[in-house]
Amino acid sequence: MILSLSHFLIVAAMLFTIGVAGIILNRKNIIVVLMSVELILLSVNINLVSFSSFFGDLTGQVFSLFILTVAAAEAAIGLAILVAYYRNRGSIAVEDINLMKG
Amino acid sequence: MTPLSLALAHSLPEVILAVGVLGLVLYGALRGKASDGPVTEIAVGLLGAAILVILLGFKEQAILFDGAVIDDGFGRFMKVLALIGSLTALVMGQDFLARERIDKFEFPILVLLATLGMMVLISAQNLISMYLGLELMSLALYVVAAFNRDDLRASEAGLKYFVLGALSSGMLLYGASLIYGFAGTVDFAGIAAATQGHVSIGIIFGLVFLMTGLAFKMSAVPFHMWTPDVYEGAPTPVTAFFGSAVKMAAVAITVRVLMTAFPGAEAQWRQIIVFISILSMALGAFAAIGQTNIKRLMAYSAIGHVGFALVGLAAGTQEGVFGVMVYMAIYLVMTLGSFAAILSMRVAGHAVEQISDLSGLAKNNPLMAFFFAMLMFSLAGIPPLAGFFAKWYVFNAAIQAHLYPLAVIGVLSSAVAAYYYLRVVKIMYFDEAAPAFDPPTPALRVVLAITSLFVLFLFAYPALFIDATATAAKSLF
Amino acid sequence: MIAALFFYLFSAVLIASAFLVITSRNPVHSVLFLILAFFNAAGLFLLLGAEFLAMLLVVVYVGAVAVLFLFVVMMLDVDFAEFKQGFMRYLPVGGAIGAIVLLELVLVVGGWRVDAASLANVASPAPPAMSNTLALGRVLYTQYAYLFIAAGMVLLTAMIGAIILTLHHKVGIKRQDVAAQNARTPKDAVELRKKSFRQGV
Repeated sequence: MILSLSHFLIVAAMLFTIGVAGIILNRKNIIVVLMSVELILLSVNINLVSFSSFFGDLTGQVFSLFILTVAAAEAAIGLAILVAYYRNRGSIAVEDINLMKG
Repeated sequence: MTPLSLALAHSLPEVILAVGVLGLVLYGALRGKASDGPVTEIAVGLLGAAILVILLGFKEQAILFDGAVIDDGFGRFMKVLALIGSLTALVMGQDFLARERIDKFEFPILVLLATLGMMVLISAQNLISMYLGLELMSLALYVVAAFNRDDLRASEAGLKYFVLGALSSGMLLYGASLIYGFAGTVDFAGIAAATQGHVSIGIIFGLVFLMTGLAFKMSAVPFHMWTPDVYEGAPTPVTAFFGSAVKMAAVAITVRVLMTAFPGAEAQWRQIIVFISILSMALGAFAAIGQTNIKRLMAYSAIGHVGFALVGLAAGTQEGVFGVMVYMAIYLVMTLGSFAAILSMRVAGHAVEQISDLSGLAKNNPLMAFFFAMLMFSLAGIPPLAGFFAKWYVFNAAIQAHLYPLAVIGVLSSAVAAYYYLRVVKIMYFDEAAPAFDPPTPALRVVLAITSLFVLFLFAYPALFIDATATAAKSLF
Repeated sequence: MIAALFFYLFSAVLIASAFLVITSRNPVHSVLFLILAFFNAAGLFLLLGAEFLAMLLVVVYVGAVAVLFLFVVMMLDVDFAEFKQGFMRYLPVGGAIGAIVLLELVLVVGGWRVDAASLANVASPAPPAMSNTLALGRVLYTQYAYLFIAAGMVLLTAMIGAIILTLHHKVGIKRQDVAAQNARTPKDAVELRKKSFRQGV
């Protein structure tokens, strides 16, 4: 049996769907939302690396490298904002983020 | 392949900002005091230097750094707008931040970093530089939104903006990866070549995901949910920054991607742009009516105005792009002026932000009331003020492209939107006087006066402005 | 054959652990499943010949990002017991939307085609007989130098942002001041006095 590109792409698509579903379904905990974002970025990386490998082109891997860098920065900022919010609110439940409406 | 010296000379504005940021970080850290001191002034100087370099520098088009960056008329025009937005927001906000005791030296540094991201974003020529520019801008914006970290509303605004922003950049990236996979390249020109004639379903899917991410950054409906809350919760100078510079960069990259990378898929993206444009105009018009907070009102107004600007993009012609650029330039001036007025709303040292606080401003401070009223009339699009010309150019482009329903809906929703702008004017002129505001700082007075005189007298001598925009719009075609 | 076997192993564990990340009751378990997912994704990268990224994923993600998550989960000290409620309420809608999106994506990526002509001139072809790391390094610091510097600015932003949002300077704490310590001379610190014998100070 030969592995085709579609195999990898379908795994990435499943991962992407799980990530998006995690953001939509989660009502209680912002940290899990941040982890779902990491899953989405991981699925993008799998997409890029598999395209890159099948094209014989390094561009996809370079793109993926930059995404890894930015994702690390994003996680750091996200968690910092989360900590600042928790200090003020004392909760990280998604439902409690409701001070402003309209 | 351009020599490095030429490439650096073309990206001198970016180099000025990047080196300036590094210097300021070192200076601020070694200085050992928390307050911003001269850092804001230096940052304003750097932004001004970048504007000067763009205005006096190269006039020809160049693609640099192995296709990562393009330096063209469109990019220079939008960069100048973004730089003006950042510069004015910094100048206006200094006093506010000092009074709220959040005048830390990191604030101007983060604004500079966000502006650097906007410059990278506006002149992006492939998907990677677009993504990096977007993230450099967004990460700095998440932090400045939550900059008042001891304030619950500011940190909630930052958290909301971050979660939705991270989701949208994930969407954008998934789209970018599909486009790379189905076009075989990340380069905008290469994508345009790959979409010539036949557009594969994978590229269309990628394009939809990509536009989701971009619509979020522009705060276009249906990805606008964060806008009112972030506008209300963030410190007011930050809101002014969000409303001015950030909008310029987001609209600029959307125009560039759609016009230069996907001319072959125009039939597909035009439907999406028409759809989000109509929704944005309608929501901006109707949802703003019941607002009592002036910053929330400006948020819905921003959503509506992005919808109007997208009318020009939907036309997809050179006139359309020209219309978008005129619209964004005039919108920048109107937003900065309005926020100068909002930042002046201060009673006995405390910032107030209810619309009712403006009651009877005409009695307490007739000049400020007049200027603010002119900006409101202009936002509503009443002739002969500048806002009317902005709308006229985009609707004109839409009619020339035979998008009659879009133009009609646009005119109708701008009529509805006029209601709440006029309500603000009515409150200022005819309601019982509320407590008078403290006298505004000189910087706010100057910005308010210049912007409202600009919208008032643009019709008298528009040639210089219109010619510059038309030349810049040509470079995309 | 071996490659296919490993592909199915890695993907199955990857998908299962990703699912557990979003459904676990306890966020600590979520982080641990996230780490498992990253390890398996690194395995997939190895199958694709991207060794450098595979190692980077383990080092950066597992080593730094996941540990950061774990830190924050521990630090915030929230009540785990109540986290499960509400999940089931949104499951039917969310599950249905997710299934539709997944089906569409699978149809799209399953029909992947790209014409050979556009592949003839890829931007940075992988040179044969060169290790993946060497090949990446060759393009990263030349062709993509501008983007590399931009990524550096992104990291600087993250650093400044994280510090400004979370660092609290407490007053009344004695801190070490190395410069002041070094600048101290015996003259400032020690005083010698002649005292006469058998008399108090």
